Amino acid sequence: MSLDDLEKRVSAARAETEARGETFYPGPSRIHLAAFPPKERWDDWVELDSKAWPERVEKRYMLVPTTCFNCESACGLLAYVDQESGQVRKFEGNPEHPGSRGRNCAKGPATLNQITDPDRILHPMKRVGRRGEGRWERVEWDAVLDELAGRIRKALREKRHNEVMYHVGRPGEDGFTERTMAAWGVDGHNSHTNICSSGARCGYQLWSGIDRPSPDHANARVILLVSSHLETGHYFNPHAQRILEARKNGAKLIVFDTRLSNTATHADHWLATQPGSEAAVLLAVANHLIANRLYDREFVRRWWNWEEYLATEHPAVERTFESFEKVLAAQYEGYTFELAAAESGVDEATIGEVARIVATAGTRLATHNWRSASAGNEGGWQVTRTLFMLNALSGAVATEGGLFPNAWNKFVPRPIRLPRHPESWNELTWPVEYPLAMNELSFLLPHLVDEGRGRLDVYFSRVYNPVWTNPDGFSWIEMLTDEGKVGLHVALTPTWNETAYFADYVLPMGHGSERHDIHSYETHDGQWIGFRQPVLRAARERMGESVTDTRQVNPGEVWEENEFWLELSWRIDPDGALGIREFVESEKRPGERLTVDEYYGWIFENSVPGLPERARAEGLEPLAWMRRYGAFEVTRKVGKVYEEPVPQVELVDAAEDDFGRVYTRSAAPAKLNVVPTGAPEPDAEGRRATGVKVDGAVLRGFPTPSGRLEFYSSTVARWGWPELAIPTYIQSHVHPKTLGENGKVLISTFRLPIQIHTRSANAKWLDEIAHTNPLWIHTSDAAGLEVRTGDLLRVETEIGYFVVKAWVTEGIKPGVVACSHHMGRWKLDGHGQRQLMNTVGLSQEGTRWGLQRKKGVEPYDSSDPDTRRVWWTDAGVHQNLTFPVHPDPISGMHCWHQAVRVRRAEPGDAYGDIYVDTEKSREAFRTWLAKTRSALEVSPDGTRRPSWLIRPVKPVAKAYELPESDR
Amino acid sequence: MELLRALAALCEPPGPETDRLASLLELGETPRPEEHADLFTFQLYPYASVWLGPEGMLGGEARARIADFWRALGTDPPEEPDHLATLLSSLATLQELGSAAGPGPARDRLRHTRRALLFEHLLSWLPPWLARVEELGTPAYRRWARLLREALAAQAQELGPPPETEPLHLRAAPPLPDPRTEGGEALLAGLLAPARSGLFLLRHDLTRAARELELGRRVGERRFELEALLGQHPAATLSWLAEEAETWARRHLEVGPATGASARAWSERATTSATLLAELVAEADGD
Repeated sequence: MSLDDLEKRVSAARAETEARGETFYPGPSRIHLAAFPPKERWDDWVELDSKAWPERVEKRYMLVPTTCFNCESACGLLAYVDQESGQVRKFEGNPEHPGSRGRNCAKGPATLNQITDPDRILHPMKRVGRRGEGRWERVEWDAVLDELAGRIRKALREKRHNEVMYHVGRPGEDGFTERTMAAWGVDGHNSHTNICSSGARCGYQLWSGIDRPSPDHANARVILLVSSHLETGHYFNPHAQRILEARKNGAKLIVFDTRLSNTATHADHWLATQPGSEAAVLLAVANHLIANRLYDREFVRRWWNWEEYLATEHPAVERTFESFEKVLAAQYEGYTFELAAAESGVDEATIGEVARIVATAGTRLATHNWRSASAGNEGGWQVTRTLFMLNALSGAVATEGGLFPNAWNKFVPRPIRLPRHPESWNELTWPVEYPLAMNELSFLLPHLVDEGRGRLDVYFSRVYNPVWTNPDGFSWIEMLTDEGKVGLHVALTPTWNETAYFADYVLPMGHGSERHDIHSYETHDGQWIGFRQPVLRAARERMGESVTDTRQVNPGEVWEENEFWLELSWRIDPDGALGIREFVESEKRPGERLTVDEYYGWIFENSVPGLPERARAEGLEPLAWMRRYGAFEVTRKVGKVYEEPVPQVELVDAAEDDFGRVYTRSAAPAKLNVVPTGAPEPDAEGRRATGVKVDGAVLRGFPTPSGRLEFYSSTVARWGWPELAIPTYIQSHVHPKTLGENGKVLISTFRLPIQIHTRSANAKWLDEIAHTNPLWIHTSDAAGLEVRTGDLLRVETEIGYFVVKAWVTEGIKPGVVACSHHMGRWKLDGHGQRQLMNTVGLSQEGTRWGLQRKKGVEPYDSSDPDTRRVWWTDAGVHQNLTFPVHPDPISGMHCWHQAVRVRRAEPGDAYGDIYVDTEKSREAFRTWLAKTRSALEVSPDGTRRPSWLIRPVKPVAKAYELPESDR
Repeated sequence: MELLRALAALCEPPGPETDRLASLLELGETPRPEEHADLFTFQLYPYASVWLGPEGMLGGEARARIADFWRALGTDPPEEPDHLATLLSSLATLQELGSAAGPGPARDRLRHTRRALLFEHLLSWLPPWLARVEELGTPAYRRWARLLREALAAQAQELGPPPETEPLHLRAAPPLPDPRTEGGEALLAGLLAPARSGLFLLRHDLTRAARELELGRRVGERRFELEALLGQHPAATLSWLAEEAETWARRHLEVGPATGASARAWSERATTSATLLAELVAEADGD
C-alpha cells in the first residue's frame, strides 16, 4: 500500500472515530492533551493494582467527574470508582475541564483523605447538656428537619425575619443558598467575605462596577502580583499554570510580598514592601507612566470618567482631555520613586526598574491582588484601586494578556426560579455605619449582638468556623454560649470544628464528591461551568440504578446541601402560605418537591447556550452529559465587552446625562448569565442605564454609575469620603510611625501552599506535609531578642498574646514578623479531628480568657492504619484568637495586620498558650467604629447604601431607606 | 499528515488503541509494551537531544535549541519538545496549517518552518537511528521504521534539496575529546554522545563488544559497562571502538534518506573519532 493510500486510510479512521465522540490518538501521546484516560473508556477503565505489585492484577474503574471543594477555584476532578467495591479509590484531574485542564494541586487528590477520614461526622448530632459542654446524641434527620422548619416558620410568621441567619465560608457554588434565603424572604445571608476579599473587591468595583479580577495571565507580557498568589493564591492551580506558561514565553513576573514566599522566589523582580506601603509603590509606578506619557492616551480619553471628575472637582478647569492630563499629572507628581522607597523600604532603583518594565507591557499587563495587602491594612481597598489604575492607564482592560472584570469571564446560569427580593434589612450584617462596605460585617456579629442591635433565633454556620477563622474568637464563644443571643445554632459541616462545638445541632454535609453544585470561575478569558456531583450517585446511575436521595450513596447519613435546603424549605411552608413553597415545587410534578435532577436538568437544558446541542450530538440529555463530563465551556475569547455597541432596539426613548451615560425605556434583554455585577441606578425619570456614549457611538461600557471606568468615584465622594474619591495612598494602621519603639508588624494572613484554611485539616497527606506555623522573624530581630529557631516567643496584640516558636530567617523584612493562619486547630476533650488538632483547655475569669495546650498530635487507632503512623506532634498556634476586630471604615474589610510586640516567652509560658481580655476586644471594636461615617450622617439620598453596589440577597428598594426616625 | 501522526503515536508505549493503529498501517502484529520498553527505553531513546546534544543525554543544549525553535515562532514549546512523537506531530501540524493557508507568504513561511524542522531536528539524527531500529526492532517496529523513513523521504523530496550546511546541532557539538589532554572521563562521556563521536553506541553494541573481545560484561549503565571493558583490556577495546567508528563513517553515508551535509558531517565526525581512537590504540600497544 502506498504512503498516499495509508494517509487516506488513517485520516478516514480518525474522522470516523472522532465523529463517535471518541479519542483517536491515545495514551501519553504528545499529539493532544491525551495523557488521560480517553473519555469513551471512562465507563470501564482498567489499571494495574499498585498494591498487588509485582503481580499484574487488573482493577476496573468507572471514572466520574466532579469539582474540587477545597478552595474556590473549582478545578475538575475525576473520581476513580472501583467497580468491585463501589468506592472511590482515588481522584485525579479532569482533562475535560476548561479551567484546570486536567491539572490539580495537592488539595484535589487529597479529597480522598477527606471522604475516608475516620474522624468525620457521619450522622446528625444534637447537643446534650450545656452548649459547648461536648456531649452529643445521634438524632434522625426527620426530627431535625421538623424542628428547624417549625422554628423558622414561627420566626417568619412573627415577622422576626432578621433572626434567621445563614453564615457561610466558602460558598463553593453560585447562588443556590443565597436564593434559598431570598425565597424565605430573609436578609439573612452572612458571608465571610469581609475577613477575606472585600478590601480587594472594593477597589475593583469602584473602578469597573465588577468586584473581581480576571487576569489573562497566559498571554501577558508583564505579570504583577501583589501577593503570594502564584504559590498559594485563590486560583492557585488554574492561575499558576497560566502564569508559568506566560513565563515560558518570556513574560516578566513582578511580585510584591514582604516574605520570601515561594511566589517571590519565582519572580523576576521581588519587592519586599513594608506592609501597608503597596499603594504608594503602585502610585509611583502610575506617576512614572503619567509623567512620561507612557500611558494609552486614547484609552484613557475614551474610557475614564475624566469629564465628570473635572466638572465636579475642578469646575474652573476647561473640560478638555488635555486639561485633564495636566490635572492628572499634578495630582500624582508627589508619588515619586523616592517617596515610594521611603514608605516601602524598597530601594528607588528597583521601583524605577519595575515601573519601566510595567511601561513595556502595553495592553498585555496582567495584575492581581485578592487578599494580602488589601486584606491586611486599613485603606487596603486602595491597593487594588491603585493596581487597577495601572491597567486603566495601559489600556490593558479586557485585552489579550490584560485584566478582565470577572463577570465577563464567568457564567452563572439562570436557575429555574429567581425568588423575590427580601423586604427586610438586617442591621446585624449591614450596620448603618458602613454604607460602602462591600459585604456583610460578619466578623462584628458578636459585638453588634452585644450592643443589643438584634438577636438570632436560628443561626446556621455552614462550612464555616468563625470561632477559629475570625478575629476575636473568644467574643464568638461568648455569643454562641449565650442562648439569649443565639437561640439555636446549627452547624452544617463535613467535619468537627471549633465552632461546631458550640452548636445545638451538627449536621453532616458532603465533601466535593458527595454533593451537587454548579460553579464557574474566572480562570482565563473564557466562560465555563463546572458541575459538582455525588460521584457514587452518578456511578450507580450509570449502572442502571435509580438514586433519589444522595444519602443513599453517601457514607453514614451524610447529606448534601441542595437536597437539605430544598427539603427544609418545603417543610417550612407546607401549605404555601408563606410564599416559599412555590420556589421549591416541581414544575413537572406539581404538588411534589423539586428534585436536584429537575433543578439541574432545567438549568442545563434552558440556561447554558450550546450545551443541549453538544449533549444531543452525543445522544445524551444535557444533565446526563454534565454528569459524564463534569464541565462545559460556554465560550472563549470574550474580549472587550465595553466596546460593544448597544443595539438600536435597546435605545427606545433614550436619554443621555451630561457625561454621556445613556438611559433607556427599553426592557432589558433576557439574560441567561446572571453573574453579579453593579446595577447602575436609573435616571430621574426611571429609565434604566444601558450604555455610554463614546465619540458619538452608544457602547455597552461598564456597570458603573457613569458607564465608564471610574477614576473618580462619585459614590465615594457623595457618601462621605470626598478626599478618597480618586485612587490614593492611605497609610495603614500598621504604618511604622504608629508602631512605637520595638513595635512590629505581624503578617497573619498567608497560606501554606498545600493547606486551605480549616477545610483541609482532615486530609492526612496534606497534614503530613504542613502542620505547624512558627513565627518568621528576621535574623537581626532575633539577635536583638537573643532567640534562635525553636525558642518560644510571646507575641502581644492589643487584646492579649500568644506563645509561639521562632523561625529565624532572612526571608522576612526586619521589623516584620509573620505567622501563617492555617494552623493552631484545637479540640476540647472529646470530638474533633485528631490529625491536626491540639487538645486544649479553655479557662475564663470574667472577660479574661485563656487557652492552654494539653497535648499535641499523636498516633491513634482508627479504621485507617495510617493514623498509627502519625509522626508529628506540633499542630501550631491559634493566633487569630488574639486579634481584635479592625473593620475598615469604608470597605468593611477586617484589616488583618497586627501591630504587636514580640519578646521572649516568660517563665511559665508554654507553647500554644493564648490569653485574651474580651473587654479590650470591645474597646477595639468601639475605637474602629468611631472611624466610620454613618449613613445617618452622610447618606445623600436617605438610603442606607448606594443601591448600585453589588450585595448578596439584595432587599427591595424600600428596605434601603433609612428609618424616618433616624434621619 | 495523519500518517505522520499515527507513526508518532506508535513510538509511545502501546495502549489498547495501538491495535487499531498497527492494523491500519499493516504492521503485521501489534507491538507489545515489553517490546516497546526493550527498544525505546533500553536501546534507542526517542528523544532528539540524546543523539544531537554534546552531553549525549536527555535535555541540555539540544533540547533547549529545539524549544527555542518554537519560541522563535512565537509559540509556547511543547512539554517535551524533542520527543520523536512531538516532532512528528508538529511536522504534521505545520503541513496541515500550510495546506489550509492557501498560496501566499503565510504558506511560504509555514513551508520554510517545516523544512527547518525536518532538516534541522528530524533528519539530523533519524537516518542512523532508524537504521538501528530496523536492525534491532521486532518485525512490527521494523515495518514502522521503514514506513517512517519513507514518509520522511517524501517530506524531504517535497521540501526541496537538503541544506548545504550541516545542522546547527552538529556544528555546535565539539568532536570526541582527546583523553591525553581532557582525561579519560571525558573520552568515556564523548564516546556515548553520538553528536561528538559519530557512533551510535547502544547497550546491544557493548554486549556485542564484550562477546567479540571475550571480555567480562559488567551489567550497568552504558558508561559503567564501557569503562569496565576499557579497564579489562584497554588496547583491545579501543581498537574495537576504532573499527566501529570506521564502520559508522561509511554507514552514515549509506543510510537514507540521504541528507547531504548532515550525512557528511556525521561521517566526518566518525572518521575523526576513528583517527583519534587509532592513535590511542597505537599508544596503548606501545605501553
